[in-house]
Amino acid sequence: MEEYHSGDEVSFSPDDASNVVKECIEGIVGGVDYSQNKVNQWTASIVEHTLTQLVKQGKPFKYIVNCAVMQKSGAGLHTANSCYWDTTTDGSCTVRWENRTMYCVVSVFAVAIAL
Amino acid sequence: MDEDPSAEETTFVVDEITTVIKEAVESTIGNSSYQHSQINQWMSSIVESSLSQLTKLGKPFKYIVTCIILQKNGAGLHTASSCFWDNSTDGSCTIRWENKTIYCIVSVFGLAI
Repeated sequence: MEEYHSGDEVSFSPDDASNVVKECIEGIVGGVDYSQNKVNQWTASIVEHTLTQLVKQGKPFKYIVNCAVMQKSGAGLHTANSCYWDTTTDGSCTVRWENRTMYCVVSVFAVAIAL
Repeated sequence: MDEDPSAEETTFVVDEITTVIKEAVESTIGNSSYQHSQINQWMSSIVESSLSQLTKLGKPFKYIVTCIILQKNGAGLHTASSCFWDNSTDGSCTIRWENKTIYCIVSVFGLAI
């Protein structure tokens, strides 16, 4: 019987995740202006698509994808994250994106599953 | 043999966490107005004190705490989260807090080890 590669430590790759996120954002809000009645659909699509693409990679991780979309109107926005986990295997990445009328901040957190 | 009460200890309890976080937010920015120069300190203080209170609960969880502070200026803000985890043991809770000049949104995600 073949052994599963449990000896390999799988760690999170922020660069891969960052590329996945950027493609998802571009695909959903790439050329559009902020619109209040569409923004709920956009945030839901961004998190769902990103999650689906990450899960397809087949790595042994639990994922949390968080997306914030804000209209550009001069208000100050600050975000912070703090995590209590295993720093050798878990990780996160945050992608900031903007166009003329809105900011989009997407954070991905990946927590390794103990196999 | 008595039933093992540790089953309770390994699920995410939303009410307990909500109380912990509300205290952390109130004690940090309870009476303050939005001030650009203080924001970094406030955010660090909120996430750090939340995380240390959570770890003091002593449960076998990994935690992620995120905090958003937004100036009340008429701008629209929308956030969404999607999670891929074990529904029976993991959970999240989001606390929305505001005063006259600040909106503060804190999300806690707990993942069972």
